[in-house]
Amino acid sequence: MNNMTLYVNRDSPVHRVDPLTKLLFVFISITSTYISANHLAVFGILLFTFIILMTGNVFKSILPVIGVSFLLIASIIIVQGFFHPDRATVLFEIGPIAIYKEGFSIALLITLRVVNMVAAFGVLILTTKPDDLVEALLQKGLSPKFGYVLLSVLQIIPQMVALTGKITDAQRARGMETEGGIWMRFKSFLPLLGPVVLNSLTETRERSIALEIRGFNAKGNRTFLYERETYRYSMPLRIALIIFFLAVIVWRVMS
Amino acid sequence: MKKKRMWSLQFSTAAFVLIPAAVGINFLGKLFADVLKLPLWIDAIGTVLASMLAGPLVGAIVGVINNIVYGFTTSPVSFVYAITQAVIGLVVGIMAYKGWISNVGKAVVLGLVVGFIAAIVSTPLNIMFWEGTTGNVWGDALFATMLAKDMPLWLASFADSIVVDVPDKVVTVLLSFLIFKGLPKNVKLMYDNQGEIERL
Repeated sequence: MNNMTLYVNRDSPVHRVDPLTKLLFVFISITSTYISANHLAVFGILLFTFIILMTGNVFKSILPVIGVSFLLIASIIIVQGFFHPDRATVLFEIGPIAIYKEGFSIALLITLRVVNMVAAFGVLILTTKPDDLVEALLQKGLSPKFGYVLLSVLQIIPQMVALTGKITDAQRARGMETEGGIWMRFKSFLPLLGPVVLNSLTETRERSIALEIRGFNAKGNRTFLYERETYRYSMPLRIALIIFFLAVIVWRVMS
Repeated sequence: MKKKRMWSLQFSTAAFVLIPAAVGINFLGKLFADVLKLPLWIDAIGTVLASMLAGPLVGAIVGVINNIVYGFTTSPVSFVYAITQAVIGLVVGIMAYKGWISNVGKAVVLGLVVGFIAAIVSTPLNIMFWEGTTGNVWGDALFATMLAKDMPLWLASFADSIVVDVPDKVVTVLLSFLIFKGLPKNVKLMYDNQGEIERL
């Protein structure tokens, strides 16, 4: 299960913050960068997010996550830099191609926003165990059935991935080609996926019977197996976040 | 009466158990597409199958949870597209209920419709969050060419989504359709809301 999540187990002040406060932070951090259109302000927010990541001792782990979005960022810079509709002033030229100032400035702004989005989610994802987040949501009134769904996804996927390894080997042993031309590779898609899908769907039948027996549909209040961890400074942090958010909106409306 | 069943919020335990399995299938589809180096995403087979089996609402929930989990485990950018996946689930669920998965021809039409609607939903998201690009090389190349010819941003962005989404969704729906047809009856009946069978 642990290899599914990006959670990094460290002991830091950020790890000890209430998951819901972090969720609020993610929301406010991202919307603020989209509300404000000022490069410096967005850069400031990004810097702040990075500082939180460093406080949480997880800054190194965010870099590969940003790397996953690299293709999107690269295409934003190239496409907007060269072709943005408002292009007028040439910033510099590489051979016959000119990079325009307007497009480049917009590309820079979007890149900052995208990196901030990934980093802000990183604050939540890297420093919060999914179990803790779901538990906090359950205590806020999320249906326990959805809590089950969210957590069981994280357990089922590694199982299914392990199963696919077996099936790929079995099909190869029967002489199926998984390499070669595109049509060849495409043809092997269904024989690989089919058995896994069928297997996991038939398994749902047994799993639902097992859950029914254990009172999945029971009515009445649920109790919690684990004591709720006490998170400190939740309230002041949330108030500070909301004040910041209001300030960003007011500033945007005024200017 | 039938309509009410389609939108029923009273999910059976089987439907709840289907959701994680469907998210897993989405994940595997993407994994296999990567392993076989196919030029498509094929990351919605589970969503489409869940909609075919258990109706639009379950499909939509699968879509949202899929992108939340994907955001948590691989790339936070996918949180943005949770709405697209939800709409895919809804459209497939409704059209499957109306009988658009009775043969291959209809399934292709369903795939085209889903692709178009997915593009329509994705375009505003792409424009809002990244001024129109999608991060897919072919789509973005088209986007850039159209912008260079001074076409409007939204049209270029829509074309960008269309060339990526439509083939991908047609393939996704066709594969799901083939799998759906091959499912044993006792699995299909487990989610059947129309019958008079006493459910689990």
